[in-house]
Amino acid sequence: MIAIAFKSRRTRRTERVIFWLLRLATYFILACATYIFLDIGIKGSRTVFTSTPPFINLPFLTEPPQTLYVFDYDGKKMTLSDRQFREWKSAHAGVDVEATSVAYSAGGIWPCIVGTALLVIGSMALALGIGISSAIYLSEYSRNGRWIRLVRIAILNLAGVPSIVFGLFGFGLFVIFFGWNVSLIAGWFTLGLMVLPAIITASEESLRAVPQGLREGSLALGASKWQTIRKNVLPYALPGILTSSILGIARVAGETAPIMFTAAYAMKDEMPWQVAKFTDFFFQGVMALPYHIYVVSSKIPQNEYTERVQYGSAFVFLFLVMLIALTSIVLRERSRSRLSW
Amino acid sequence: MEGIADSRILIPPRTKSRRAQAVVEQGIKAFFGGNALVAVIVLALITIFLFREGFGFFGQNLSNLRLYRQAGLEYVDIIRGVASRHEALSRNLSEIRLSEVRAAQKRNAPLEEINAALAPFDRFASAFSDTADNLHGIVSDLTEQASELKEQLFARAELLAQRSQLERSGAATAAEKIVVPEIDRAAALTRLREGSANFESVSAEMTAKLYNLLAEAPPLPDPAGQKAFEQWKTRTREYLAGLPAASEKLRTWSPDAPIPWYRSISSFLFGREWVTASFWQDWYGIIPLLVGSILVSIVALFFAVPLGIASAIYVSEIASAHEKRLIKPYIEFISAIPSVVLGFFGIAVVGQAVRAASQSSLLKWISFFPISERLNIFTAGCLLGFMAVPTIFTLAEDALRNVPRGFKEASYALGANRLQTIGRVLVPASLSGIVSAVLLGLGRVIGETMVVLLCAGNRIAIPDFTQGLGAVFQPVHTMTGIIAQEMGEVVRGSTHYRALFMVGLVLFTITLAINYLAQKLVARYRMSIG
Amino acid sequence: MVATLEMPETTSPTIVNQPEQVPKAEIERAMIEIEQLDFAYGAHQVLHGVNLNIPARAVTAFIGPSGCGKTTLLRCLNRMNDLIDSARITQGAIRIEGVDINAPGVDVVDLRRRVGMVFQKSNPFPKSIYDNVAYGLRIAGITKRSLIDEAVEKSLRSAALWEEVKDRLHVSGYGLSGGQQQRLCIARALAVEPEIVLMDEPCSALDPIATAKVEELIRQLKEQYTIVIVTHNMQQAGRCSDHTAFFYLGRLIEFDQTAKIFSNPAQRQTEEYITGRFG
Repeated sequence: MIAIAFKSRRTRRTERVIFWLLRLATYFILACATYIFLDIGIKGSRTVFTSTPPFINLPFLTEPPQTLYVFDYDGKKMTLSDRQFREWKSAHAGVDVEATSVAYSAGGIWPCIVGTALLVIGSMALALGIGISSAIYLSEYSRNGRWIRLVRIAILNLAGVPSIVFGLFGFGLFVIFFGWNVSLIAGWFTLGLMVLPAIITASEESLRAVPQGLREGSLALGASKWQTIRKNVLPYALPGILTSSILGIARVAGETAPIMFTAAYAMKDEMPWQVAKFTDFFFQGVMALPYHIYVVSSKIPQNEYTERVQYGSAFVFLFLVMLIALTSIVLRERSRSRLSW
Repeated sequence: MEGIADSRILIPPRTKSRRAQAVVEQGIKAFFGGNALVAVIVLALITIFLFREGFGFFGQNLSNLRLYRQAGLEYVDIIRGVASRHEALSRNLSEIRLSEVRAAQKRNAPLEEINAALAPFDRFASAFSDTADNLHGIVSDLTEQASELKEQLFARAELLAQRSQLERSGAATAAEKIVVPEIDRAAALTRLREGSANFESVSAEMTAKLYNLLAEAPPLPDPAGQKAFEQWKTRTREYLAGLPAASEKLRTWSPDAPIPWYRSISSFLFGREWVTASFWQDWYGIIPLLVGSILVSIVALFFAVPLGIASAIYVSEIASAHEKRLIKPYIEFISAIPSVVLGFFGIAVVGQAVRAASQSSLLKWISFFPISERLNIFTAGCLLGFMAVPTIFTLAEDALRNVPRGFKEASYALGANRLQTIGRVLVPASLSGIVSAVLLGLGRVIGETMVVLLCAGNRIAIPDFTQGLGAVFQPVHTMTGIIAQEMGEVVRGSTHYRALFMVGLVLFTITLAINYLAQKLVARYRMSIG
Repeated sequence: MVATLEMPETTSPTIVNQPEQVPKAEIERAMIEIEQLDFAYGAHQVLHGVNLNIPARAVTAFIGPSGCGKTTLLRCLNRMNDLIDSARITQGAIRIEGVDINAPGVDVVDLRRRVGMVFQKSNPFPKSIYDNVAYGLRIAGITKRSLIDEAVEKSLRSAALWEEVKDRLHVSGYGLSGGQQQRLCIARALAVEPEIVLMDEPCSALDPIATAKVEELIRQLKEQYTIVIVTHNMQQAGRCSDHTAFFYLGRLIEFDQTAKIFSNPAQRQTEEYITGRFG
């Protein structure tokens, strides 16, 4: 009896220690994440926010990136953007200064935001259109044969294929084989196809979660197949489909590898709508936030002049993607508690 | 309740317009089916396209390898091999000197004293390095000749291809106009052999010099250094003993010996060098990239597996409901952090921190610290590990949560405490789910691009495993990284372009295999529990 | 899905000594004629040569042990089995008012409108009570509000639910009790004015009071409708049906007036089942 009591006290202690270790591991992860958010949040908000009204650094959000010129003049350290530097030079004609230039480090990231938005909208429209239709076919119309099973397995497995492989494929097929060059439309197709398997799988799951009784009840009342789907299946599957597609948006917006050589330019002077003719719109490369972050963090050095744009872009990008992800998580939690069959 | 059945007039019987509706129904079905077909076709296309572009690699690489032999590059590389092994020995000498200096510094000896003590050794080292001067002379002459021949042969092959294409498309007159120069390959190769005629005398001379040098090698003050030096001497003797074999190889080398077709595949799968856009010879060996990817993944899983599983157990079994509601979405939230942001964070913060830590005096006892590169396997692995945690956490937590209640209750009823229940009932019951979570985490890590591109250091080389764990702190390049970095710059259809597709194909196959395995495991686990 | 299907536990019907002739009740007017019907799920045959005439404006009960094929037969009557992959009629025919319902020209949507169905598990749509009942009318293309209002009230009255829900027509059907939900499903089926109503164990999930209400309803409905009901509950069959068909291992063993079946069955198996010796 005593032996058991003694043993149980020891096991209780081991239990406590191990539970604490597990707790520590969990909170360590949370701490890491928090540190990342804080580091980028704090250093980035120095770029994005200002201490004077309107409190938001509008030029950073609304101007294109420019080269930064740094030089000493009259005992003062001058840091001027490309445009300012030219104006300054014309104002100080005859003054010869030794200026160091740092690429991308002045101006803002407006074209990148626009480009990312365009890429996301186009590719999601494509992926949702094809993806949801395919899911409806697979879950509502197709008979469960061997062929359909094979298709399902293929789709499930393609969801795990690395994004760079999709980029490779997009480059080979759209950019080169179809001759679309580096263009918005090539990016749309590449990104759209990348999320397609995930959207099909998630949509089909949502459709299947709708109880069969609702379908049978509707059909037994003389509704046709499409009427049943439209009135009695889709409305209840839609919250789930939407949640998964918002997650898809976060993924599409966050990916860099697939657009690196299909759609993104490191630098482009015109905005996407400044095109000669309408069709050119689709066949132009765009600047994109994730690619911009890649460029400014790998192609220019780390120093006091570059930190502004590096952290600023990372902050804006992280903020946008996290906002999308948060929406999806909140929506899902809410629909989980509301819809239970 | 009056006469419903007798007044069935509300809904008219089927009319023409409703027949049209049936057609619409068929149309809708066809539309959805068509979309599904498009999705399936496109996804199939990806695979087919990868294969189509990738498999062309082998043919092109084979002619690349054949050209290497036909133009005599292989011949020159035999001599170059001798020279570069000499250089490696020379480098070893400087390494020995470096460790010698460090050992002396530990004894707090002043620098001048150290230099004075090592003066004989320095003289020895420079004498050693000088012995290969003639050898280097031969190599650089021959290199020029062989590259010239290669250029000519290559240009000729291009022209021939152009002509045959024109002929095929029916433009015979245009094809006639293309003048294909004749190249006297035999003469060029003879010149090459003449250029190396004195190799044997040079190597004999070098051998004699080196034996003399070895005989009068100065002793070293530090015993450890002396030991390393002795080992070096053995290696040098082995090197000298191998020289006649090199001469023999040169004599028997034939520019027309056939290169079997499988060499193209084996040189890709087992090639230890990835050299592209080189003036001399391009090599497409996947091993350095594969090793890089694997090492980064190992480091990532080393962190992610314990953390992911520990937090899954904590959240599903120990945490209060309140904690659960906070932790679960938060960890899932992590998975949405874009990889390029993490990569940037790696450059800006983690890399610096790792290097700073390696320089700290607390960790001085570790032999390979301080490290020289802040971007290395470890830095990338840490970040990738962080990325893989949510994947592993979510799936492992799912698996744990789906263990039937009865299992747990039965264990408690037998007097087991929570820890025993977790360790002996829950984890074993959900093991295949947890393993598949780890596999999917691995799939995510190995396919991740931006973090490794930004943080792995991008040096195409197999890490030096003689350093033991220190290999983890060396920069590497990875399969995903190489595609991202080089794809934008290659010429379409070139061997390099196709080689990158082959790398993509290997990546595709690996991730597919991992996913498939994970799904199989999940299915088995569902069956065993359900 | 699978829950509503019944498969025989054994595939070899060896115990059955198939009678030379299934006793048949004399029926004035047959609404549904089932002739030599064989039915199979893939290679697995569930119904064997069923011959049955179901009378109009009466309640016909299908009884038999689990997996005897009675639900399958019921679902054949409005071709609900079309939804199941690889399920098909391998032989024989079903005629409703003389028309073969599986003939190529027959429109299944039209058929289902004429042959309503109430399911074992009540399955109201996640819509308001009103919308649930109006659903069938709306999909049939009726848009006039007054017509729908009228039909909704009439159906709810027929289903004896009107008094209970008339003040909350626009709240979700999920808020009703189990018995009310099942009557809502009946109302929903009645709203499209079917000629036949199929009921698949409509009371299996209900408590005795709700069951009594539904049974009472069934007795009233037979004035206007032909009703076919599958039930596990012998008393229920006795209480509310006019004719009873006993199935065993996919075969129709006996079909007769309910009173006759329960008091003096012609077949030994029927008697054994009814007296509770197996089942």
